[in-house]
Amino acid sequence: MTNILEIVVSFLLVLGAIIMLIGSIGLAKLPDYFTRLHAPTKASTLGVGCILIASMVYFSFDLGRLNLKEFLITMFLFITAPIAAHMLAKAGLQYKVKLKEDTYNKDLSAKAYLHKAPDED
Amino acid sequence: MLSYATLFASGLICIALALNAWRLIVGPTTPDRIIAVDTMYINSIALIILLGLYQGTTSYYESALLIALLGFVSTAAFCKYLLRGDIIE
Amino acid sequence: MHYFWVPFLPMLGIIIPLLTNKFNRSTCALATALLPALALGLILFDLPAVLDGQAFTQSIEWIPLLGLNLSFRLDGLSVLFSLLILGIGLLVILYARYYLSEKDHMGRFYCYLIMFMTAMLGIVMSNNMLQLWFYWELTSISSFLLISFWSHSSDARKGARMALTITGAGGLALLAGIVLLGEVVGSYQLNVVLNSAELVQQHPYYLAILSLFLLGAFTKSAQFPFHFWLPHAMAAPTPVSAYLHSATMVKAGIFLLARFYPVLAGTEVWFVVVSLTGLFTLLLGAYTALFKHDLKGLLAYSTISHLGLIVLLLGLNTELAAIAAVFHIINHAIFKASLFMAAGIIDHESGSRDMRKLNGLWKYMPITATLAMVASASMAGVPLLNGFLSKEMFFTETLDQSILGSLSWLIPVLATIGGAFAVAYSLRFIHDVFFNGEPKGLTKTPHEPPRYMRVPVEILVALCLVVGIFPAYTVGPLLDSASLAVLNHPLPEFSLAIWHGFNIPLLMSGLAIAGGLAIYLNRKPLFRFEGLFPAIDAKIKFEGAIQACVRWAQKVNQTLESGSLQRYAFWLCFFALALIAPPLLDLDTTRGSQAEYPLNGAVAIAAVLLVAGSLATVIWSHYRLIALLMLSLVGLVVSITFAYFSAPDLALTQLSVEIVTVILLLLALYFFPQHTPTSKSRPSHFVRDLAVASLIGCIIGSICFALMTSPLDSISEFFIANAKTGGGGTNVVNVILVDFRGFDTFGEITVLGIAALGIYKLIARMRLSMRTKDHDGRLWATDKYPVLLSVISQSLLPLFLLISAYIFMRGHNLPGGGFIAGLITSIALIQQYLAHGVDWMTKRVSVSYHYFIAIGLVTAAITGLGSWAFGQPFLTSWFDYFSLPWIGKFELTSALVFDLGVYLTVIGATLLILANLGKLTTKERLTVGVR
Repeated sequence: MTNILEIVVSFLLVLGAIIMLIGSIGLAKLPDYFTRLHAPTKASTLGVGCILIASMVYFSFDLGRLNLKEFLITMFLFITAPIAAHMLAKAGLQYKVKLKEDTYNKDLSAKAYLHKAPDED
Repeated sequence: MLSYATLFASGLICIALALNAWRLIVGPTTPDRIIAVDTMYINSIALIILLGLYQGTTSYYESALLIALLGFVSTAAFCKYLLRGDIIE
Repeated sequence: MHYFWVPFLPMLGIIIPLLTNKFNRSTCALATALLPALALGLILFDLPAVLDGQAFTQSIEWIPLLGLNLSFRLDGLSVLFSLLILGIGLLVILYARYYLSEKDHMGRFYCYLIMFMTAMLGIVMSNNMLQLWFYWELTSISSFLLISFWSHSSDARKGARMALTITGAGGLALLAGIVLLGEVVGSYQLNVVLNSAELVQQHPYYLAILSLFLLGAFTKSAQFPFHFWLPHAMAAPTPVSAYLHSATMVKAGIFLLARFYPVLAGTEVWFVVVSLTGLFTLLLGAYTALFKHDLKGLLAYSTISHLGLIVLLLGLNTELAAIAAVFHIINHAIFKASLFMAAGIIDHESGSRDMRKLNGLWKYMPITATLAMVASASMAGVPLLNGFLSKEMFFTETLDQSILGSLSWLIPVLATIGGAFAVAYSLRFIHDVFFNGEPKGLTKTPHEPPRYMRVPVEILVALCLVVGIFPAYTVGPLLDSASLAVLNHPLPEFSLAIWHGFNIPLLMSGLAIAGGLAIYLNRKPLFRFEGLFPAIDAKIKFEGAIQACVRWAQKVNQTLESGSLQRYAFWLCFFALALIAPPLLDLDTTRGSQAEYPLNGAVAIAAVLLVAGSLATVIWSHYRLIALLMLSLVGLVVSITFAYFSAPDLALTQLSVEIVTVILLLLALYFFPQHTPTSKSRPSHFVRDLAVASLIGCIIGSICFALMTSPLDSISEFFIANAKTGGGGTNVVNVILVDFRGFDTFGEITVLGIAALGIYKLIARMRLSMRTKDHDGRLWATDKYPVLLSVISQSLLPLFLLISAYIFMRGHNLPGGGFIAGLITSIALIQQYLAHGVDWMTKRVSVSYHYFIAIGLVTAAITGLGSWAFGQPFLTSWFDYFSLPWIGKFELTSALVFDLGVYLTVIGATLLILANLGKLTTKERLTVGVR
C-alpha cells in the first residue's frame, strides 16, 4: 500500500472518530433536549461516513478490487438518520420537554406543544 | 501508521460510547435516553468497522450493516411507543 | 410367517371409514371390513402351525438401548384372542351397519372401532412388554371415544370419563409393574420374561410387581372393587358393548393374567388374592344382575360375574383350572356378544331396554327370541350348550382346592350359589322379555330386525350349539394350543366330553338350575328385600371423589403458585444455588492452567459499560421502559463483544434477537402499568433477594472464571476439521446447525412453531381496550402513522429483503444463515406493521403466517427424509460443486434447502406472535382532540 493512501485512510479515520466524539460530547454536555438531539444526528452521518469511506478505500486496495459494500451502510444511514431524528423530535414534542431558558422565540414552544401553527390562536 | 490511527480512533469512539452511556443513565427524560441508545448504535457501527480494519478482515461488515438496519427499527419503535403507546395498531 | 402384518392392517384401516363415509352406508361398512378380513385370513393361514404347538416371534429393533423393540409373537393364546377380536369384530361391523341411525356419523364410529381393534390386536400379539403397554393405553383411549360416541348424552360422557379414569389409572400401575419386571428380568421381551418365573418369584420386588399387575388387570376386567365403571359404560352404542364390554376389552385384563401366568402365578399370594377377588366378583355380579331392570345393565353385571369366574379359575393355581379359564374365555365371548346384539335388536326395534315395559315379545320377533333364548341358556349353563361345558369344568376345579383351609367346602357351595343366580337372571332375561304378558307403554310396535342385522347373532348362537355338542372337534385344538401358551409347559390329560357320568359337578349343575328356578319363582319377595337397601349411584360417588381431588389439587396449587414472580425466582435460584455450590466448595482454586487474556482499554470500557448497563437495568427495574432501554445497552455491548472475540455469527444472531425482543416487550409493556410501586416490597424480602442474587452472581462468576482459565478439550476441533469435507461449508457454525446437529435444529424449529401456535391460540380472540392517556397523563399524539416514517419504511423494505437474502445465501460458507435471515425478514415486515398498521399489511400479505411455519417444517422434514431415498440416515446432507457458463463454479447443497425450512419457520413464528400481539388492541380509542 502506498504511503499516501495510508495517510488518507488514517486521516479519514481520525477525522471521523473526532466528529463522532464531538457528537457524543454534544449529547452529554448540551443543555436541553433539542440541542442534544441536534449534536449526534450530524455526527452520525458525517462521522460514520468518514470511517466508512476509509474502510472502503482501504479494502479496495487491500483486496485488489473495487469494494463498495460499505457504501450500502452509508446510504442506509443517510436515509434513516433524518427519520430517526424526526421521530425523536416528535417524541420530544409529545413529552413537552423543558427548553433552555434563553431559547429564542420560546413563546412559540407553547403552541408547538399544543400541535398548533405559530399564527393559530 | 494506519494501525496507530485505528487504535486512536477506536479509543476516541470508546470514550464517545462511555459519554453516551452516561447520558443514557442520567436521562433526564425518556426521549433523552432513546437518543443516547440511538447514538450508541451509530458509534458501534464505527467501532466494528474499525475492528475490521485493524484485523484486516471484512467478516464484520455484516454486523455493522445489521446494527445500522436494526438500530433504526429499534429507535422508531421506541419513539412510536412514546407517541402512541401501541406500536403496531 | 405373515402374522407380522396383522396388527398393521387394521392400523391402516383406521382412515378407511373416514374416506368412504361419503359413499353409502353399505359401501362404508364393506370397505371398513376389508382389512380386518384380510388380517383374519393371515391368521388363519398361520393357524395350522400354531395348532401344532409352535410359537413364533419376530422383532425389529427400534431403540435397543431402552429395550424398545417392535416385536410380535404368535402363540396359542394370541391366536385365540386374535380370532375372537377379528371374528367378533367383523360381525360387529356388520351389525353396526344396521344398528346406527342415519343421524350417527358412521365413518367416525367405524374409525374408533378399528382403532380399538388395532389396539387389542397389539396387546395380544405384542412380544415386548412396553409395546404391550402402549397398546393397552390405546384401548383405554379408543374405548373412551366409543363410550362417549353419543356425546350429546350426559350419561355417555360421564360413563366414558369414569371408564377412562379407572382403566387409565390401572394402566399407569401396569406400566410401573412392567418397568419393575423388566428391570428384574433384564429384558422387556416376553419370550425372555415368561421363562424367568423362578428369578421373579424369589425377587424382593415380586409382591410389588404382582400387585401392580393385578391393579392393571382388575381395573380393566372390572373386578371388585373396580367393577363399577362397566355398568356405566353401557351408555355406549350396543355394538360397542357387544364388542368391547363383553368379548374383548374387558378380557384384556384376563389376557394379562393369562399371559403372565407362567411368571407370576403359582405362589400363595397369587392364589389368595386372585381367587378371592374372582369369587367375590362372581357372587356380587350374579346377585346384582338379577335386580337390574335395564337389559344391558343385567348383561353388564352378568359380564362382571363371568369375568370374576374366569379370574377365580386363573387364581386356583391348578393346570386344569387354567385350561377351564381359557375355555370359558371363548365361551363367554361367544354367548355374551350374541346376547348383547340381541339386546341391541330388542332396543332398536321396540324402543326400550326396560324389562318392566318389555313383555311378551315372542309374538313380535320369534326368531330373535329363539336366538336370545339359546344364548341365555348357554349363559345359565344348560347342557348341550358351550356354557355348560366350561361351567362343569369350573365346578370340578372348585372342589379341588384348599384355599380356606378347613372351610374350603364353602367355595363349591358359593360357586353353586353363583351358578343359581346366573340361572335366575338368565331366566328373567327370557321370561320377562319374551313372555310374561303384553308389552307396556312401548313407543313403537316391536318387529323383527333387518335380515342382515340378525346374521351376526345367528352365527354366534350356532357356534354356541356346535361348540356345546362337539367340543373336541371344534375348539379342542385351539384350546390345547392356547392352554399350552398359558401354562408354558406340556398339558395334563383332560377331556372335553359332555358326559362325565354321574358325579359331584353334575350334581352342582343340577342344584344350580333348580336353585335358579326357585330364586326366580320367589323373585317378588326378593325384589322387595332388595328395595330396602338405599340405591347407590356410583356415578355420583365417583364424580364426588373427582371433585374432592380437584379441590385438593387447587388448594395445593394456590399455596405453591402464589403468583409472586419474586417467590418463584427465589426458589429457582435457591435450588440452583444449593445444587451448584457444594462441588465448588471442594475445589482449592478456580484458576486453571490457561493464561489470562491481556486487558486493553477497549475491553475495559466494554466491561464497564456492560456492568453499568446491567446495574442500571436492575436499579430502574421499577420503570419498565427505562429498564428496557438499559437492556438494549447490554445487548449491544454483548454483540460487540461477540464480534471482538471473532464470533460474527453470534453477533448477528444476538443483534437480531435483541431487536425482536425489544419490539415484543414494547408490544407487551403497553398493557402493563408503566411503573411498579416500590413500596410493596418488604425490607426483609429485599435483603433476602439481594443476598440470593449476589450469591448466584458470585458463583456463576467463579464458574466462568474456572472454565475460561482451564484448557478445554472440546468437540470443536472435530467440527472445524470436518465442516468443509463432511458438510461442504466453511462456516462451521452454520454447518453445525444444519448438518452435524441438524436433528437438534429440526427439533428446535418444531418447538418454535408449536410455541408460536400456542401463543397465537392464547391471544387470537383477545381484545384489550386502549387508554386515552399515557401514564403521565398526556394525551397520545394524534398522528397514527407519521408520513415520513411510512414512506421511508416502505422504500427500505426491498433493501431489507435484499440483505436478508444475501445473509441467507452466504450462510453456509460465511457468517449468516437461515435463522438470522429469517429474523431480518421478520423485522423488515414488522417495520412495515409499525409504519403502516395492521390493516394496511393485512391487505398486502394475504397468506396467513401459519402456512409459513407449516411449509418451513415440511421443507425441513422432506429434506431430511430425502436422504432415505439414497439409503442414508435421516438428515444426511449432500453437496456437490457445479459450474455453469457465465455464472461459474457454484455449490449446491441439501443443507441450503433445510436452512430454507428454518428460515420460513422463523418468519412464520416471529410474525405470528408479533403481528397478533399488534392486533390485540381495539381499533378505536377515545382520541379527545387537543383543540
